[in-house]
Amino acid sequence: MKQSRKLVLYGMAAAMLLATTGLAGCSTTAGVEATGKTSWNEEGARGLDKKIIFNNSSLAGDIEIVDVKSALVGDVMRVQAALRSKDKDTLPFQYRFDWYDAGGFEINSGAGSWKPLILTGRETKTIQAVAPDPRAKEFKLKIREPDK
Amino acid sequence: MKNGIKTLLAVAAIGTLALSGCASTMQYGDAGSAKPISTEFGSSDLQQIAESMVDSMISFPPLVELTSSKRPVVSVDKVKNKTMQHIDTESVTDSIRAKLLRSGKFRFIDRTTDAQTIEELKTQQDSGLVDKKSAVQFGQQLGAEFLLTSNFSEIVQKAGSTTDVYYKFTMSLKNLKTGILEWSDEKEIRKVFKRGTFGG
Repeated sequence: MKQSRKLVLYGMAAAMLLATTGLAGCSTTAGVEATGKTSWNEEGARGLDKKIIFNNSSLAGDIEIVDVKSALVGDVMRVQAALRSKDKDTLPFQYRFDWYDAGGFEINSGAGSWKPLILTGRETKTIQAVAPDPRAKEFKLKIREPDK
Repeated sequence: MKNGIKTLLAVAAIGTLALSGCASTMQYGDAGSAKPISTEFGSSDLQQIAESMVDSMISFPPLVELTSSKRPVVSVDKVKNKTMQHIDTESVTDSIRAKLLRSGKFRFIDRTTDAQTIEELKTQQDSGLVDKKSAVQFGQQLGAEFLLTSNFSEIVQKAGSTTDVYYKFTMSLKNLKTGILEWSDEKEIRKVFKRGTFGG
C-alpha cells in the first residue's frame, strides 16, 4: 500500500517536471522567409526573382517551400507557394504575406495578419494571396511556428 | 513516504522558479496574431474572413473584367448573423469595404452616415451661410449598382471535453439592376478546444 502511494507521488513529480520543461519556451522565433520580386527580361516578359531564407533550423527540418509562382489577375499580382511538410506528424504553422511596391516600399505597412496553416504528415499544400492593390511588385512570404 | 513528499516539494519549487519567467505580464501584442484564445469568434477569424473575401473578389475573372474599365459603385448590406454569439458584424464588413476601396477597384455608398449628410445639405441650402453657387444640391448622389450581402453561421458540437466550432461566412455580390449574383464565396473556419485533465 505504502509502496503504491510512493509510486503515485513520484509519478506526479515526474509529470510536473515534464510540464515545466514543456512550458519553458514562451517565445516565437522568426521562421522562413520567401521573397519574390517581379522582373522583366530583355523581351519584356514578366519573371520572378525568388529568394528563400531559413532563420530557424528546427523549422527548416519541418517544412520545405517546394515552389513559388506569381501571375497577374487584371493588374494585380497574385502569388502561390507550395509547401511540403517533412515531418510524419500533423504540424501547425502560421504564414503571412507582405507586399512591396516597385520602389521597395511596403504597402499598407504592418496591416497584414498571420493565418493558420495545418499540414498533415508529408503533405504538400498550396497557399495563395492577392496583392492589396496594383502597386505591388514584390512580396515576402513569412512562415513560422504558432505563437505560444 | 516522507522522502516522497520532500521530492514532490522540491520539484514543485523548481517548477515555480522555472515558470516565473512566464508569470503575469502586460505588453503590446501583435494585432495580426493568429493565436486562438477560445472557440469564440476572435480578431484573427475576422482578419482571415476579410482577407479571403477580398482576395477572392479581386481575382474573380468576371469582376476583373468589370473593374478594368470602371470602378463600380457598391452598397454593403448588414450581415445576417445566424450564430449564437453577439458579434460586431459591421466591423467585419468595414474591414472588407476598406480593403476593397484601397484596392482601387470599387467605390462604396455608406448609408450609415445619411442622417449627417442630410443635415449638412440642409445647412448648406437653408442657413444662408453658404454661397448658393457652391452649395451641394439634393438628389445628385450616385445610386449603387451592386449590393454586397453576407451570411454568418456556426455549428457547435460538444462531446465530453471537446468543443468543436465551425464558422461559415458567405458573401455575395448582387447586381441590383438584373438581380443576378455576380460573385459569391465562402470562408470556413474550424476551431477545436480540448479541455485538459488539469486545465480549468
